[in-house]
Amino acid sequence: MRPLLLLALLALSGCASSQSWGWYVIDPTTPQGWTNVKFLVSGMWATIQISVIAAVLSITIGLLVALPGLSDRWGWRAVNRVYVEFIRAIPLLPMLFWVFYGLPIVFRSMGVNIPIDPFWGAIITLAISDSAFTAEIYRAGIQSIARGQSEAAATVGLSRWQAMRYVILPQAIRRILPPLANQFIYIVKMSAFASVIGMQELTRRANELVVTEYRPLEIYTLLILEYLVLVLIISAGVRWLERRMGADERGR
Amino acid sequence: MSEPAIRLDGVSKYFGDFQVLREVSMRVGTGERVVICGPSGSGKSTVVRCINRLETHEAGVIEVFGREVGNRTTPEALGREIGMVFQQFNLFPHLSVLDNLTLGPMKALGLSRRDAEERAMAYLTRVRIPEQAGKRPGQLSGGQQQRVAIARSLAMEPKVLLFDEPTSALDPEMIAEVLDVMIDLAEDGRTMIVVTHEMGFARKVADQMIFMDAGEIVETGPPAEFFAAPKSKRCQTFLSQILSH
Repeated sequence: MRPLLLLALLALSGCASSQSWGWYVIDPTTPQGWTNVKFLVSGMWATIQISVIAAVLSITIGLLVALPGLSDRWGWRAVNRVYVEFIRAIPLLPMLFWVFYGLPIVFRSMGVNIPIDPFWGAIITLAISDSAFTAEIYRAGIQSIARGQSEAAATVGLSRWQAMRYVILPQAIRRILPPLANQFIYIVKMSAFASVIGMQELTRRANELVVTEYRPLEIYTLLILEYLVLVLIISAGVRWLERRMGADERGR
Repeated sequence: MSEPAIRLDGVSKYFGDFQVLREVSMRVGTGERVVICGPSGSGKSTVVRCINRLETHEAGVIEVFGREVGNRTTPEALGREIGMVFQQFNLFPHLSVLDNLTLGPMKALGLSRRDAEERAMAYLTRVRIPEQAGKRPGQLSGGQQQRVAIARSLAMEPKVLLFDEPTSALDPEMIAEVLDVMIDLAEDGRTMIVVTHEMGFARKVADQMIFMDAGEIVETGPPAEFFAAPKSKRCQTFLSQILSH
């Protein structure tokens, strides 16, 4: 409670002194403040789009990368290991630069002209970067299902693929879902990096307004609250999903 | 003699440097019931797991109805001919009892849902728990779960049934209900290979007893001779230990 009280006091004192807080800049009751707030919040849709598309791609790529990691053959496992270790080692920002500025040159040198705009540059980077982590989450989740389950599936004639689809994955998904949700939250937060390649999302909007209004404290405070709201909504959604699956499983 | 259902000839297997099976040979005729016993670690479970390719063997020949089980044999292909009942049941916990029974017939044998459910209910009735069809395995007792597991393997209508210590994970009061079902199946003339310590069951149904120790078959014979006059010292010791209490 203390820090909150302090914050409130600071805020109040800000009304008196222009040197500290100046909430007028995002005060929705004034025309200028309302315009500013609308400007800031208008980046929300881009942040959501980037995050959701990147997350969908990441959980797809992650599964495709995880499956060879479960193979009996070391060659397939090596493919998984190399991908995970390599991608996991690249910091997000350098990868973003490489994809946005470098990848089009690679494409051109191969004789194809695929432009990469900030929107897709951010999505590709987030999806690839995150997929190394989702791949490990899948692998751990699948391996946590007892070996007896795949053996039993084989003895009733199911192929490895059928066993995965009907027996292993439906059980593993309950263990995989919570850490995957964590990754989604991580993607939402990391999407802020898209601002540096000019993507008009939440953070970019805040930066631009700071430049014109020169009120970083208030604007970045609102920015943080915007991410907080997004993440809390995701958390609530995940808890709802987990409860639903839990109810389905209560007979265990 | 007609072609055996299962034939093993000089089968050996290693876990690293440790030899778990030493030139194991046996033949199981169609309709025959074989009981394998022996102390823990004797390789008896490994033998049945090699027959349906859950384990691979390094040397020797395994044939199922005249076809060799080798590098290109998948366990799921054998799963259409050989049923397996595990010590730990290994039911699918996320599916209802009915769906546990219909999954294999629908996905591997291509039966329609209606046909598969009809077949499943017939086998649940056979193991005397048709009323549990809608429940999850976790809601059943151990004995009931193992009976579902038996029904699940029966629903594939296999030519051979393998049992790997089917009563070892059960509370004593539940062993009888599972053995009753197994005796019932044996009297049906099914080909069965049963790894078990239940010597009462063995006496009742076995055509052939096999005693294993340290990865090799030490003694075989019809149950009457096997129990009355075991020839080897190791077998005598083993039988006196498990029959003395």
